[in-house]
Amino acid sequence: MSLARAPRLETIERWMQAVVMHPQGAAAGVRARPARRLLPQATRSLESVVLPSKALTSAERLDIYAHMYYARLLEILRDEYPTTRQILGTEAFERACRRFLERNPSRHKTLNRLSERFPAFLARHLPRGHRNGLAVDVARIERAMEDVFDAPHAEPMTAAQFAAIGADEWQRVRLPVIPALRLLKLKYPANDFMNAVRSKGKPRIPKPSATFAIVYRRGYQVYRRDQEEAAFKLLAALASGKTLAAAVRGSLAGRRGSADQLAATLGAWFREWSAAGLFSVPGRTFALSG
Amino acid sequence: MNQIKLPNRWKLPDLGLGVGLRTQHFRHITEHWPAMDWFEILSENFIDTEGRPLWFLDQIAERYPIVMHGVCLSVGSTDPVDFKFLDKLAALAARVKAVWLGDHVCWTGVAGINGHDLYPLPYTEEGLRHMIARVRIIQDYLERPLVLENPSTYLTFASSSMPEEEFIARLAIEADCALLLDVNNVYVTCRNHDLDPVAYLDAMPYEHVVQVHLAGHTDNGTHCIDTHDGRVIDEVWQLYARVHARTGGRATLLEWDANVPKFPVLQQEVGKAARFRNDVQAARPVAA
Repeated sequence: MSLARAPRLETIERWMQAVVMHPQGAAAGVRARPARRLLPQATRSLESVVLPSKALTSAERLDIYAHMYYARLLEILRDEYPTTRQILGTEAFERACRRFLERNPSRHKTLNRLSERFPAFLARHLPRGHRNGLAVDVARIERAMEDVFDAPHAEPMTAAQFAAIGADEWQRVRLPVIPALRLLKLKYPANDFMNAVRSKGKPRIPKPSATFAIVYRRGYQVYRRDQEEAAFKLLAALASGKTLAAAVRGSLAGRRGSADQLAATLGAWFREWSAAGLFSVPGRTFALSG
Repeated sequence: MNQIKLPNRWKLPDLGLGVGLRTQHFRHITEHWPAMDWFEILSENFIDTEGRPLWFLDQIAERYPIVMHGVCLSVGSTDPVDFKFLDKLAALAARVKAVWLGDHVCWTGVAGINGHDLYPLPYTEEGLRHMIARVRIIQDYLERPLVLENPSTYLTFASSSMPEEEFIARLAIEADCALLLDVNNVYVTCRNHDLDPVAYLDAMPYEHVVQVHLAGHTDNGTHCIDTHDGRVIDEVWQLYARVHARTGGRATLLEWDANVPKFPVLQQEVGKAARFRNDVQAARPVAA
């Protein structure tokens, strides 16, 4: 090929990207419309764009990159979604991953964010059914675990700081949650299922049952656990920025029990959350005594 | 062979022998503080995260020199330079007191997409001008030399008008950037393109070379893949000896990214480089 006819750098790059990211491989990528529009001559003579080697054709050389693209990204998804993969089975999981990658190529410098939209993608594209429904919920937990692993660090509020909040301050106090906390309202007991996988290996697919999971990082360790619905609502209300008083009112509305019982319940929740480090030091939100 | 010490253009130090810092070894390193001259980190693994890896890195950076090596700077891309990403690189470099930072002579994506792979450029005058301009912009912004590595490549564009080694040598000289010479990549690339690795090495401007990479690869018969999954083969050690003889000492790093062994295996493998370095040291004239 003479230099005068050489495709521009930008054209070559867009063409090669379209070719090696084609889910059916490089040969199909060359024939597909995006690449064909950029370099139509490649469909007639691929050798006019990519030289063959002594051992490999032009298409085979491009296929090295095409193979590595999907192999690398599938490996990431396998690592991030082990239980989702177990529920769906390897074949269905990888088929879903390929479709996901085809429609959601990475747009970030780090691979940490590659699968941000994967749970939502599964929810939209998997056929209905208990197995798939559970897989979506488990995928949401597994993605949340990735999110909190990388989330910004915030100094957690100590038990002493928490205890120092007087009852008279509840009307105005807001308790910011740490960035490394995710609250997940689920349709299946997905967290229990994941625990069972860890201990037994192959539990049965459960029936739908609303569950409320939290995923968080304490120190540099990631945890997940279920919450009862009222506790989850209270935590969600605090996370949304409501005052302590408003959050408590909203989450305990209609709950039966004496004032002492409710106080004991609240105390137990806050002790658990405080020990887990779910609240960050509120800074100027209110003055800490002591 | 020439045994005279050739300083690099920036007088960046010969850090000795190092290995790539991998998550599998975080605990071993922070519990045993093993003998190792320096570590190289994959920059992107420590950007946009405040999790456990960064916590380990902070501790390790207090005790060992750190070099930052990236895979997503995409210097050859025709997309605009990502200055926000440069800011993040600069912040990480300041945090770990990086001795230098770099990436590859490649592009990793275009149109806002990242393929997370090191794609080759067509080695044309247009490609060279593009790379030179981008390297200058990045170096000016970061206010430090960029250390660029020759990639393993698996294809050649028909439009290429010069060999890879000429492209890289001219890039280094005209953009005034530093080079990381990966001798395993030289071997892999030359195998894949039926080229002579010695001629490739002889074309390098060694005053621009500040670092050397060693690694294992997979030989598929018809082609080699830069898999970083095993020991360095003898042919690559011979290429390393040649580079060392030309330079008299460059920071040398072993990469091992798949089937990662226990840390002592890495120490042993990179330690083999000492033999070549000592041979050259012994043969070096006493008076410069």
